[in-house]
Amino acid sequence: MRELLKKLSLAFGPSGCEDKVREIIENEIKDKLPKGATMTTDNTGNLIVHIPNEGKTKLMVNAHMDEVGFMVTGILENGMLKFGCVGGIDPVVLGSKRVIFESGVKGNVAVKPVHLLTKEEYKAGPRVKNMSIDIGATTKEEAEKITFVGDYFTFDSDYIEYGEGFVKCKALDDRLGCAIMCQVIKDIYEENIKSDYDLYFAFTCREEVGYSGAFGASMKIKPDYALVIESKAVGDIYGSPDEKKVSILGDGVIISFADRGAIYDRDFVRHIMSLCDKEKIKYQTNKYISGGNDSANIQKNASGAKVSVLSCASRYIHSQSDVIHLEDFENTYQTVLAVIKSAVPTKE
Amino acid sequence: MTELIKRLMFTPSVSGREDKIREVIKNEASPYADEITTDPMGNLIVRKKGNGKKIMLCAHMDEIGFFVTFIDDSGNIRVSPVGGVNAISASYGEVVSENGTYGVIVPESSNDVPKWESVYIDIGAKTKKQAEKKVQIGDFFVPVPKFRKLQNQRYVGRPFDDRVGCAILLEALKEVKSDNDLYFVFSVQEEVGGRGSRPAAFGIAPDIGIVLDVTATGDKPGSKPMDVKLGGGCAIKIKDPSTICSPDLVSKMREIATEEGIKFQNEMLLFGGTDAASMQVAGKGVKVGAISIPSAYIHSSCEMIDMVDIKEAVKLTVALSNKL
Repeated sequence: MRELLKKLSLAFGPSGCEDKVREIIENEIKDKLPKGATMTTDNTGNLIVHIPNEGKTKLMVNAHMDEVGFMVTGILENGMLKFGCVGGIDPVVLGSKRVIFESGVKGNVAVKPVHLLTKEEYKAGPRVKNMSIDIGATTKEEAEKITFVGDYFTFDSDYIEYGEGFVKCKALDDRLGCAIMCQVIKDIYEENIKSDYDLYFAFTCREEVGYSGAFGASMKIKPDYALVIESKAVGDIYGSPDEKKVSILGDGVIISFADRGAIYDRDFVRHIMSLCDKEKIKYQTNKYISGGNDSANIQKNASGAKVSVLSCASRYIHSQSDVIHLEDFENTYQTVLAVIKSAVPTKE
Repeated sequence: MTELIKRLMFTPSVSGREDKIREVIKNEASPYADEITTDPMGNLIVRKKGNGKKIMLCAHMDEIGFFVTFIDDSGNIRVSPVGGVNAISASYGEVVSENGTYGVIVPESSNDVPKWESVYIDIGAKTKKQAEKKVQIGDFFVPVPKFRKLQNQRYVGRPFDDRVGCAILLEALKEVKSDNDLYFVFSVQEEVGGRGSRPAAFGIAPDIGIVLDVTATGDKPGSKPMDVKLGGGCAIKIKDPSTICSPDLVSKMREIATEEGIKFQNEMLLFGGTDAASMQVAGKGVKVGAISIPSAYIHSSCEMIDMVDIKEAVKLTVALSNKL
């Protein structure tokens, strides 16, 4: 699963441009689809794997394929590019970072050096409007040969395992969820797992720009239950007081009860916690309510669904180096598997 | 009817945790309903069958409050607000949890306007372990429910928003005799952005949607300019920042109110929103309107309403159910 995590995380796929990620996933699972299962791509580009169990409760397992990235918005006379962010990126993480285009063209984020900044500029902090991209072109014409307005690019990053079980790479948000879903589909095939649910696995698009992929996918699937697999920004190392740490890297899969976009179904959350207790899977709750994800749209779509979110703790999220802990990754995977093998939750 | 309102108010249920209030409403509604269902998100849908128009009447069951996010070693409890709770009003007030644990909510500093990051709940516990016997992460607290009669027909307390709407729907359900196909919907999660009413409206696909919820008034010091007064009758919403009500429906509502001699006011609300916003854009779209109950000091611990307005709202709800 680590090899796949690496392959997926390094793949190029900002919101609205997920084709390459989807291709990897398709190739990974096309020979591992359980009997009767279908794999389709919808109009938005969501990849949906359906493992039917007619008449049973519909469970939609969800992870998004897209990553945060950038788009060219203008080409200057001196060959430098102006750009905008696709998804939420703090300009603080941008200065002098390597970037890579879909075509493979490489570049660098250009910022004014500190000794040339005015006092006001220094005080105001980094702003995207004051940055540009250097792709080694010296004239507009030269630049136009290798890029265009509307061209996508992302952080150019390596996949590095370091320390005791840490991983850093771009786009771990949410390729880790995609990798886990691929592995679970393979497990179902290889171990001939019979689930109590009518199962859908949705690899969605455009989560980072407002969950619009999940909107279409869930409108089509109309799930009864949805389990979203995500990465979650944690504040365990910034000197935050305990109540604001959100969660802690290495302390297990995060089973939250709410975020800023959705309040999860309580019985479903409790069901998942009790499965973890039973299977002895390490988990933690979130200590601070923050963020949002595909669950916001899935929950209130069509006639509504009972949702829950499993997250893998991540530091420096939406940067060149998201950092996760492999143990949390494994625990998240084990939890998804446990849910799929379990009976449909009943009220306590 | 005041007894019913009070009973609904004294059943704490914040957004996403509406189980208890749903049971109370369900029991109250069942003798009068042809069919009662609960959808996946928890909306309670009470149907009174008919062959006429499909009308969805909607009031939200949830209230604002707090979720427990963290408990420190000394047993102090950190919370995150659910919906737009007024931090000034909540501070130094009594709170109660879903399992009946009482406490107080206190800001760290008494000099500043309280921020949610710097308030905590004290339930009298000495240690984390002791606190955890009563309170778990993910549990909810609310400011303690209150209900008191003042002068005239005015009552103060919490949460009138939107238990009065629920009470009005229940009263209307008892009185109504209509050929229309009526869906009385008690929705979830309105206070966090109208999340419940959208799937409810998608499932029902009504011809017309009418929301019952509170609105502000323009007759208190510091109020925004607004032609709605406490005690001036129920309000027929024209617009708020989240919804432009269907003009033909608004005209029809006014017409019926005038015919029936119901006292009403015109509502143009400059802030806030209701379930009408999400119902309007559900499915293939729904014609929406709203009957609003004027309320002063909304989302505080001393919301104020006038019984006169509530009685007029019941009459209008019944009249619309019959005549639309």
